[in-house]
Amino acid sequence: MNLFGMLGVSRSALTAERMRAEVVTANMANAETTRTEEGGPYRRKLVVFRSQEPTSFPHIMNARLASSGAEEAGVKVAGVVEDPAPPEMRFEPGHPDADAKGFVAYPNIEPVKEMADLMGAVRAYELNSSAVQATKQMIQQAIDILR
Amino acid sequence: MALIDTAQISGLTRFLDAASARHRAITTNIANVDTPGYRTRDVDFRSVLQQAGIPGMMETSATPQTREVEGLMERPDGNNVSMERESLLLAQTQLQFHTGVQLLRSEFRRVMTAITEGK
Repeated sequence: MNLFGMLGVSRSALTAERMRAEVVTANMANAETTRTEEGGPYRRKLVVFRSQEPTSFPHIMNARLASSGAEEAGVKVAGVVEDPAPPEMRFEPGHPDADAKGFVAYPNIEPVKEMADLMGAVRAYELNSSAVQATKQMIQQAIDILR
Repeated sequence: MALIDTAQISGLTRFLDAASARHRAITTNIANVDTPGYRTRDVDFRSVLQQAGIPGMMETSATPQTREVEGLMERPDGNNVSMERESLLLAQTQLQFHTGVQLLRSEFRRVMTAITEGK
């Protein structure tokens, strides 16, 4: 059993959760953005998580040697997708991006939803960082056997 | 070398192996706490230790197998990882590992006492 491999599993999760927090923050920052490079209002972005087979060197080597590994999986961001929900139309005739009828397409972003998602990401990050602490202590204790 | 390679030492080694295998399963569960469709996995700690308890089984060194855990509440996205269960098991496994390490150290100290004739 390789204790160091577990740090890789936790690291993949920390990276993924940070990415999720970044995307949520971007959504909140662009809650009122009506112009984007693709044209039209900003679209709400969502991250998709997927469990992944370990790719680190020790994992692959152990799997080849013992043909038992490859059961543990980290997590990775499979992609960032756009929320297909239609934009929110607000009546603002004076706005430069208003259409012929005076409606402006605003991103369909609900701050409450984004905050809840952000809190979820932060809590998951904390849980993973405590897993890293636990793994670190176990590695330290294993080294202490030598003393 | 029956003195250094005592039954306690090989048993404790298996115990530490099982504890770290379980820790790995828990770490993986925690990493996938938000992955849709992920199922909680765990190591059958008891059966690993039972294998370790039988003298003939020690040489086979079967690697602990992980399997899916039944009876957990599933979220609508198909994920059934429970944060409480995992953080509790994380602490438990850590303490078990610590216990194993301390017992192993005391075992080595005992052997050392025999080598140095108790001086």
